[in-house]
Amino acid sequence: MKVTILEWHAVAAWRWDAPADDVCGICSQPYDSTCPKCKYPGDDCSIVEGECTHTFHMHCIATWMQHDPKSQCPMCRQDFKFKGENVAQEPQGEEGRDVGEGAAV
Amino acid sequence: MFASKRLSKELQKLQGTLPPGISLISAENFEEWLMDIKVMDDNPLYRNEVYRLRFRFGSSYPIEAPEVTFVQDPSHPIPMHPHVYSNGIICLDLLDTSGWSPVQNVESVCVSLQSMLTGNSKNERPPGNDAFVRTNRQRPRDINFVFHDNKV
Ligand SMILES: [Zn+2]
Ligand SMILES: [Zn+2]
Ligand SMILES: [Zn+2]
Repeated sequence: MKVTILEWHAVAAWRWDAPADDVCGICSQPYDSTCPKCKYPGDDCSIVEGECTHTFHMHCIATWMQHDPKSQCPMCRQDFKFKGENVAQEPQGEEGRDVGEGAAV
Repeated sequence: MFASKRLSKELQKLQGTLPPGISLISAENFEEWLMDIKVMDDNPLYRNEVYRLRFRFGSSYPIEAPEVTFVQDPSHPIPMHPHVYSNGIICLDLLDTSGWSPVQNVESVCVSLQSMLTGNSKNERPPGNDAFVRTNRQRPRDINFVFHDNKV
């Protein structure tokens, strides 16, 4: 039997849940791209949202927080706290992501 | 590498449209840029003058603030302002380690300095200007400014 491919859809495209033209306020690179320290977009260079709703590359905000003793959000100067479960915690091994919101006390 | 990626983005933008009174003079590398600013309203202190700013970037810009000073040459004086020393050093919390934020950029610093001048009516130097200018050998980033506005 012979199969003719009529049409082919790339389904591997992904993007972060943020407007495509948005850039990280710290490095000015788009969220779809990596921070200046990383080569490949994806899980290794994620974006994080603070409770104040401002988002940054995780590596960028981490670099800033290391530098800023007060760890304030660069946008609004509130204390920067990671929001929800989209956090910069080390992955807890298998299926750690299934925990519902508020599980981390 | 952090600095150069960010600065090349900023440069692209600065080569487009800029706010009135702000212009890019030179940016030949990612270490030092020159910008000109002009006060747009009719403040008699700054009328008909153009001021030149030198930005110096460290390799971790914008995590660290750039060093920004006014530079003097025959066609660019140092503006008279209670936060600007006569050697061009600027005492502004935005540029100090404690007030800097990495979302600031060259353009926003120029805009802030422009409005700092626009809003000023004092034909004065900071207190202690003469002694400071005579004795200071530190780079601006190493100086611990006491912000005059906080004094009684
Ligand atoms: Zn970033
Ligand atoms: Zn990264
Ligand atoms: Zn914020």
